[in-house]
Amino acid sequence: MSLVIKKETKNTTMTLKFIGILDISTTNEIVPYLNEIDNNLKELSLDFSEIEFIDSTGIGSIMNAIHLSQEKDFTLKFEGVNELTRQVFEMVGLYDILEAVQQEGLDV
Amino acid sequence: MYKDSLTYIYKNDKEIKGDLNKALQREINLARNIQSSLLNGKTPTFDGGEVCGASLPARLIGGDYYDFYPLVNGKIRIVIGDVMGKGIPAAMLMILTRGAFRSAAESTQSPGETLTAMNQAIYNDLKTLKSFVTLFCADWDPNTSTLTYANAGHNPPLYINGKSNSIEELPKIKGIMVGGLPNQVYKEQSVELNDEDTVFFYTDGIVEAINKDGEQYKLDRLISTLEQNKEKVVGDIERAVMESINKFTAGVPQKDDITMVLLKISKQKADITSLNSPVFS
Repeated sequence: MSLVIKKETKNTTMTLKFIGILDISTTNEIVPYLNEIDNNLKELSLDFSEIEFIDSTGIGSIMNAIHLSQEKDFTLKFEGVNELTRQVFEMVGLYDILEAVQQEGLDV
Repeated sequence: MYKDSLTYIYKNDKEIKGDLNKALQREINLARNIQSSLLNGKTPTFDGGEVCGASLPARLIGGDYYDFYPLVNGKIRIVIGDVMGKGIPAAMLMILTRGAFRSAAESTQSPGETLTAMNQAIYNDLKTLKSFVTLFCADWDPNTSTLTYANAGHNPPLYINGKSNSIEELPKIKGIMVGGLPNQVYKEQSVELNDEDTVFFYTDGIVEAINKDGEQYKLDRLISTLEQNKEKVVGDIERAVMESINKFTAGVPQKDDITMVLLKISKQKADITSLNSPVFS
C-alpha cells in the first residue's frame, strides 16, 4: 500500500490529490509539496476522493497544511471527503480547527 | 595477513557501531520498561464495580495512554488517549500527556475541566512539535451510578447494556483534540449505569488492526467479541478481546498501538477504597 500524490497548478491555485493511504509510512511524501509553497499561492485544495485510509499521522500532516495556510496566508480547502474520512475529521475536530484559522484568523 | 592503518580504523568503526547499537538497544529496552511500569501501575479496586486496562504497543514502545485516578470525593477518573505518531517520539509525548493528566486530575472538578487544563498545559509544546493527542476522560461516581465524560477528539467508548445486552456507542460529545486549538472548553455528558453494565474505552488500533490480507478488524468484530464475553469479569473480557485480535492478525506486525480500558458495574455499591489517591477522607 502506498500514496500517490497528483499535483495540479493553475495560476495561484494548487490541488493536491491523494491516492492510496495516508499514514505513518507515507505522510513524508507530502512534505516536499508543502515545502515548495511560496507566498504567491492563494488557494490550496486537498483532494481526498481516492484516499483509502488515514491515520493520526495523516491527520498530523493535514494539521501542518492548516498551520502553513496561516503562515503563508492562503485559503485551504478539503475536497472529495468520503463518509469515513469525514467522520474521522469531525471526530478529531479538524473542520473546527480549519474554520478557526481560515475564518476567524485565530492564531494557532 | 597484511594490515594497514585503514584496516585497523575500519575494524574499530565496526566495533564502535556495534557498541552503539547495543547501547541504543539497552536504552530502548529501559524506555520500554519505564513506559510499561507507568502504564501498568496500580489499578484501583472498589466495591460496586471493577476497572482494568491493557496496552500493546505496535513497536517496542508506543503512544497510547490510559490511566486511573481515584478522587477524594469517592469518584474515579479514567482517561484513555492516543498520541499522534508511533514509536519513541509518540512515547515521549505520551509521558508528557501522563504528567499533564495527573496534575490536572488533582486540581480540576470534572472530566471536561481536566481536558481543558491539559490542553492549556501542553498546547504550546504539541504545537511546537507538530503533534496532538486525542483523549477521552470520564468520572465514574459509584454513589450516584453516574458516568460523566468529555471528549477531545477520541473515538467514543462502547456501552454494553447488562440488561438488554445491546452494545452501542456512548452518546456522542464533541471536542477538539488536545493540541488542536488553544483555550478550549470541553462539554460534558452523563449517563446512568446499572448493574452489569460495562463501558469499553479503546483506541483505534483495535478496530484498525490488520490481518495478512490487509483487512481491518473493524468495529463489527469487536462488538461480536464483546457480545460473546460480556458476562465475564473485566480481566477476562480484556483477555478475550486481545485473543480475538491476535487470532485475527495472526502475527502480522501492526502499525498502531492497541489499548483498552474496561469499567464494569456490579450489584454492590460502596466507596472507592483504593490506591494512588493522594488523600482519602
